[in-house]
Amino acid sequence: MRLKSIAAALALAGAATFAHADSFPGGPITWVVNWPAGGGQDTTSRLVAEMLSEKLGVAIAVKNYSGAGGLTGMRELASADPDGHTIGMLGASSIIQQYTTDEPVMLDELAVLSFFGPDPGALTVAGGTPYESLDDYVMAAKESPSEIINGNDPPGGASYISASILESSLGLEINKVPYSGYAPTVTALLGGEVESATVPVPQVLEHHANGDVRILGVMAGQRHFLAPDIPTFMEQGYDVVAGDFRAVVGPAGIPEDVAAILSEALVAVLSSPEFNAKANAAGYMIEPLGAAEAKMRIMQFDEQVYPVLEQAGLVTNPR
Amino acid sequence: MSALLDSLGLLLMDPWALFLCLSGVVVGLIFGALPGVSSTMSLAVMLPLTFGMSTGNAMMFMLGIFFSSVYAGSVSAILLNIPGTPGAMVTVLDGNAMARKGRAGEAMTYALIASLFGGVLGWIILVTTAPVIAAYALKFASPEYAAVVFFGLALVAYASSGDTLRGLLAGALGLLLGVVGRDAITDVPRFTFGTAELQGGLDIIPLAIGVFGIAEALTAVETIPKTAAALPARMGRLFPGRRALLAETPTAVRGSAIGAFVGAIPAAGSAVAVALAYALEKRISRTPEAFGTGVPRGIVAPESANNACVGGALIPMMTLGIPGDSITAVLIGVLLLHGLRPGPGLYESQPEFVATVYAALLFAIVFTGLVAGTFGLRGFNRVLLLPRRILLTGILLLCLMGAFSVRNSIYDVWVAIAAGGAGYAMSRMGVPVLPLAFGVVLGPILEENLRRTLMIHKDWTVFLERPISLTLILISFAVLLGPLIWQAARSFVQRGSEGGKPR
Repeated sequence: MRLKSIAAALALAGAATFAHADSFPGGPITWVVNWPAGGGQDTTSRLVAEMLSEKLGVAIAVKNYSGAGGLTGMRELASADPDGHTIGMLGASSIIQQYTTDEPVMLDELAVLSFFGPDPGALTVAGGTPYESLDDYVMAAKESPSEIINGNDPPGGASYISASILESSLGLEINKVPYSGYAPTVTALLGGEVESATVPVPQVLEHHANGDVRILGVMAGQRHFLAPDIPTFMEQGYDVVAGDFRAVVGPAGIPEDVAAILSEALVAVLSSPEFNAKANAAGYMIEPLGAAEAKMRIMQFDEQVYPVLEQAGLVTNPR
Repeated sequence: MSALLDSLGLLLMDPWALFLCLSGVVVGLIFGALPGVSSTMSLAVMLPLTFGMSTGNAMMFMLGIFFSSVYAGSVSAILLNIPGTPGAMVTVLDGNAMARKGRAGEAMTYALIASLFGGVLGWIILVTTAPVIAAYALKFASPEYAAVVFFGLALVAYASSGDTLRGLLAGALGLLLGVVGRDAITDVPRFTFGTAELQGGLDIIPLAIGVFGIAEALTAVETIPKTAAALPARMGRLFPGRRALLAETPTAVRGSAIGAFVGAIPAAGSAVAVALAYALEKRISRTPEAFGTGVPRGIVAPESANNACVGGALIPMMTLGIPGDSITAVLIGVLLLHGLRPGPGLYESQPEFVATVYAALLFAIVFTGLVAGTFGLRGFNRVLLLPRRILLTGILLLCLMGAFSVRNSIYDVWVAIAAGGAGYAMSRMGVPVLPLAFGVVLGPILEENLRRTLMIHKDWTVFLERPISLTLILISFAVLLGPLIWQAARSFVQRGSEGGKPR
């Protein structure tokens, strides 16, 4: 009787191991999105998760842990069991929050798995404004400081930081008016409530093409693939590089071999033509980088953004 | 117009497209009826399924989910007194009250017919006047948002049932609760007491589930041995009668018009629409005291409004490429993934695609009517035939699950439980809970837009210089002070005539 039950238990255990053997270390993956369903972070996550699931042969459940400007989700991610079965998407705002919030999630609590791509900021002005070029805009802002009304995120959000970097790099001041997200910001730009906005290119591309707004410059090292006719700030003689980015991370302490499997699979998915076709059509810039390079890119952003936050008086949790 | 007829014809001939729309409707009915699962969440979860579909089919599927889930929010509101979505928050009041009188079937029919009516009217407004309305909606900037919410709060203050003082108190409490969390303008945490959880603020869904659903279940538990009156025991007849239905037409028209227009204003949302529609009906009713006791008007107004919002929300999306709310944001995501960028360019260059989207919404409305009318009404109502104890336990479980699923957060479950206790206490003390819920929803919108207006214009007079906000503010004061002035004037006239009498 006892022998029988032991045998049964063994068989069950065997079956359980066997069921996991043909898959990514041990079963399904939970993918944490730290923003509500429907946003850019959510859409890109679901897109990657779908293909990563095929690649690894396990189910991936995408879960939204929104709230506290993305902090709730990062906390969920950082406190998860570091076995590689809980991963998620990281954005620029989480790097910023390290220094601007109480009880933040620090970068060293996370393991970087791969880079997804940059989402460079841009300076866009409303159609009714007199600014035809970046020079016009900069001149006007210097002539009458804090007069130009710019639409952006609340302090700490990516497009607020883009506006701050614009101010500090060029030594000017604008009136940074916060909106809760890109959509309301673009609406305000179209309606003429704000004169300019520092949201990324895809958000304003259609309106630029239609002549309702003018994108004056892209805040990136190279031009945006969706708008090859719009010069960068650099090309126009202004040293401004700013914007959001996306990377895939997990909690710190994931075993090296497991992290390597995830990292390789992610880079493979992000490099596939099928994925790129979909992501590019939706306006997302893809730049697949492995763990080490991705970490370097994020550290670079971290170095760039800290002095800007300090200058803007946003740092409550100094280094 | 001919493009629209073509699209309708093409889709009608395409059994696969029709099947997808039907599947979307069934999915939406189930998800929408579950408390806490919002339309946005239903769409986001189903998004990966659309990757393999053609763009037109994807829209058939997604709009099927969209429309039916908005309607289905009324199901748990009426039968279980749990508002599953912010748009169903008002339906709870008269819907559940009517169900409790043993007329659940009628309440469900009113909700379905009002929803379909609102859907169709919203659709007609979308198809015929989208560019005009969109241009008008763009005139809504921060001062106008602030004014429209102020107007909404004025109506709610007037429309809260019972004691006005208690209603105002509950509303003030709601405004206060809405302040918790990160401030939308400066990103500074407020009333978080140093905790990480409160930084995310108090979400309206766990709160509403608590003050309506859990509080109601607690009341029902209290009365189980005696009367079991808190929950509807039977569904009663389904059809309220043609004359009774027709009598609600003006309400449905007003509700739909408010819904379609508020839906078209980016970021206003169905919660604002139902608040306005309900409060307006109560304001103009000859028997305002009957609201909340189970009058059809109290179901028809919000249900026509929130479903008309669907067509309204598509207006800025199709003509301007702006998502009016989180639901249309997902829809834009679907289009982007298929390589289509909605906006003025697409609207002008691809009328046949625009027509396909319009046709898809019409199919979604029709299928929702068919599925809900044939199987839904009877099926959903069967829930009520469960033994009382099992039903109550189930309701409590649904409440807790619903609170959890909003943000996958156990903290929201505690919020719901605490709100349940508070809601129970409030109803024992005769304090209405609806103003509290509206305070939580409207307060943050008012604050954000008011402060932003002052950041941009640096002067309060801006509210009086802009025609839309001036009009709204004048009407608000008329609503608030009208009854007082009327009373004062009448007593003055009376006193005057008394004084004139010879002694």
